[in-house]
Amino acid sequence: MSYPEVLGELGSRALMLGNVAVARACLEHGVGFASGYPGTPSSEVIEALAYAASRLGYPYVEWSVNEKVAFEAAYGSAMAGVPSIVTMKHVGLNVASDPLFSSAYTGVEASFLIVSADDPGMWSSQNEQDNRWYGVHAYIPVFEPAGAQEARESTLEALKFSENMKHPVILRSTTRVSHTRAPVTLGALARPRLSGVFTKDVSRWNIVPMHARKLKEELLSRWERMEEMLSENPINTVEGPEDSKILVVGVGLGYRYARESLFKLKALNSVRLLKIVTSIPPPRKLLLRESEGRSAIVVVEEGDPVFETLLKSILYEEDVRVKVYGKASRHLKKSGELKADAVTKALASILGLNYSPETPINPPITPPPRPPVLCPGCPYRSVFYALRRAVKMSKMEAIYSGDIGCYSLGLNPPFNVQDTLIEMGGGIGLANGLAHVVKDKVIVATIGDSTFFHAGLPEIVNSIYNGAPMIVLVLDNGTTAMTGHQPHPGSGRDALGREARKLVIEDVVKGLGVSRVSVANSFNAREVEAKIREAIRDVVYEGETHVVVARGACILDAVRRASSLKVKRPIYIVDSDKCRACGICYKAFNCPAIMPGEDGRVSINASLCVGCGVCEQVCPFNAIRVLEPGDPEWGRILGMEL
Amino acid sequence: MRGSLNIIVGGVGGQGILSLARVLGEAAVLDGLEALVAETHGLSQRGGSVIVHVRIGENIEAPLIPMGEADIMISMEAMETLRNIGYMRRKGVIVSDTLIIPPSIPGVKPLKLEDIVEAVKSAGLEAHFLSASEEAKKLGDSRVANIILLGYAYRVSHIKDFISPRSLMKSVETLPGRDLNLKALTLYATLD
Ligand SMILES: Cc1ncc(C[n+]2csc(CCOP(=O)(O)OP(=O)(O)O)c2C)c(N)n1
Ligand code: SF4
Repeated sequence: MSYPEVLGELGSRALMLGNVAVARACLEHGVGFASGYPGTPSSEVIEALAYAASRLGYPYVEWSVNEKVAFEAAYGSAMAGVPSIVTMKHVGLNVASDPLFSSAYTGVEASFLIVSADDPGMWSSQNEQDNRWYGVHAYIPVFEPAGAQEARESTLEALKFSENMKHPVILRSTTRVSHTRAPVTLGALARPRLSGVFTKDVSRWNIVPMHARKLKEELLSRWERMEEMLSENPINTVEGPEDSKILVVGVGLGYRYARESLFKLKALNSVRLLKIVTSIPPPRKLLLRESEGRSAIVVVEEGDPVFETLLKSILYEEDVRVKVYGKASRHLKKSGELKADAVTKALASILGLNYSPETPINPPITPPPRPPVLCPGCPYRSVFYALRRAVKMSKMEAIYSGDIGCYSLGLNPPFNVQDTLIEMGGGIGLANGLAHVVKDKVIVATIGDSTFFHAGLPEIVNSIYNGAPMIVLVLDNGTTAMTGHQPHPGSGRDALGREARKLVIEDVVKGLGVSRVSVANSFNAREVEAKIREAIRDVVYEGETHVVVARGACILDAVRRASSLKVKRPIYIVDSDKCRACGICYKAFNCPAIMPGEDGRVSINASLCVGCGVCEQVCPFNAIRVLEPGDPEWGRILGMEL
Repeated sequence: MRGSLNIIVGGVGGQGILSLARVLGEAAVLDGLEALVAETHGLSQRGGSVIVHVRIGENIEAPLIPMGEADIMISMEAMETLRNIGYMRRKGVIVSDTLIIPPSIPGVKPLKLEDIVEAVKSAGLEAHFLSASEEAKKLGDSRVANIILLGYAYRVSHIKDFISPRSLMKSVETLPGRDLNLKALTLYATLD
């Protein structure tokens, strides 16, 4: 990916994603170390920093193996006095939560910013947890930008605050901040501090109970100091008449929705509007000052009613009686993301104003749903096809313990090979329990290659150690495809696109103590099927875990690689007199590039077909054949040998 | 031009919808306007429905366009045009490809183009259907369909009251395949 805007000129106004604005601010502050693990909607922060680093030569940027490692790496660097950031999606912070809590106890020696991108509405996530609770829980301040321009400013302010207080700070973004482009006015780039000094201090860096008790007291007094300082931080602003009976509090992006709604209701000049960026700890003094004389306060925030709850407790503590509206009062929904019309409606009803939203056009016919699908030529299609066949041929029934990645799409018909999807690594994890208690079915855990390195290793070790026999099907496509093709330890590339040490999955697995390991080419359906059948025998008859590594390039990568190396891909066609309309290729194999005609006989859509050639293998009547052969290198690209 | 413009850009993941939307946003910034381009990333880019909210002009704060408040829709697939029609104002303008991409679910039948056109027109909207992907192939690369639609939309909608031809061209110039994209733009927006 290319992010030239992150290096835009001082003073220029550039359209950029909120995430890129965060990256820009890091470069303006002089961040020297950045780590992260991919996850929508957070990934572009590291990508943009890597883009900058490959041109400037700094800062140090890495995709780490998982969020815990990424967190610890940046934490370590900040201990040694190098301004550092770590980025992840909201659920990533669960993985990193252990060191998160400790970081508040020890503090750091330079800026340490934790960028957490939450996903209200669950556009690409399994839950919509609000990570501001982590700030409350772990005593870590939270800054919430309201858009891309504010993402730059809040990042700069948060980095500065962290540096001054020697304490970690969370920058909480949400999908619509991270993934909305808006014009951002750029400041000057700074030369970062790249090397640090670790000053030994056992009483600080070694949090055994004896030290931790003392550090906890220090943390509590630091927290009070931080609350005091954030209370007067000018990044939180107010507008509108001072004597308004009503105060609207817009937190982060909530401010934008509140402001637009007030404008629409022609109430912008009659209502006091408070914009909150530093939501945790809430700016107590500012809130008390602004609550004075009001009859009602409305809180608009993205996610759970976190700020609303904390505001109420402050008001209660200070004996201020004022009605607070928001999510607890059910004027706004606790689920899903904020929507402009819902906010306008809520404000209108609280303010007693008229608002009649547009009635949307309702078409007389509805198009069929269009869920995402595996790309034409995706290596997983043939693997799933082979997996189904192998289980059927073995006359077995299987539980498919699935995981998160593009391969999650195998949950849909015709494959139905993802019976569970819980969290990253959950596939083998659940199988560790299922294998002990469900005896009449074979347990097949699938896991992607990036997920394997992220969370799979301890789970495989557990299966061997505790004797939970299962098939582990590792889907090695060389990349973290779902989140936008970031590299991982098996890719042979680093975050900057340079060559890196490549860890070979079957070697790693053998090193973990697995004795039954096989490798198959994903684009060779027969080979995959044979390996899986062997694995089923190992599990069923010998009670042994068997790991099958199915290797085949993500087709998007393969096509890009073929065009950059000028490798010709083959062209396939259907001999319609041989086609007997059995439908295997488009029903069971389900290739989107194969289209059935009125009589059920098929043709290949040339603009969708990429030339993976698997349909030729699955057609029982040899009706699909090569029209123009490709270069021999194409096969090596698919097999990830080139 | 005072005021603001809400534009829905829709289609199927992988069609070049994000580039189209970004070009619009960047052109607006070149003209000194405010702009918001709310993108869809993640899983839906694998052949699912994709929708981008583009807002330009004054008093735009929130990234998402409320239902019933889009002035313009630029759509790269006809079924998606119908799917997103709830966003349109009654006086809105639609520019849509006639292309139909069947969803890849076994046994699901796509709608027919005539039925879609009929449904859109029965809502009283000004709708322009053109076979942009076919035209793009004739120009030499099916990937310029997005810029053909953009050019056409520029010609028939209020976009031209907000964005100057110069900025639009400058913004299109940043795309890979610059010459063909510029050609598509000038041809369909009838710029010179
Ligand atoms: C804790 C956590 N971190 C990150 C993510 C985002 N995410 C979803 S799937 C995935 C990895 C996908 O890579 P891989 O396992 O290689 O499968 P592929 O997409 O290539 O099929 C990531 C990073 C997540 N869901 N949870
Ligand atoms: S992006 Fe790659 S891994 Fe994901 S569905 Fe497409 S081909 Fe498969």
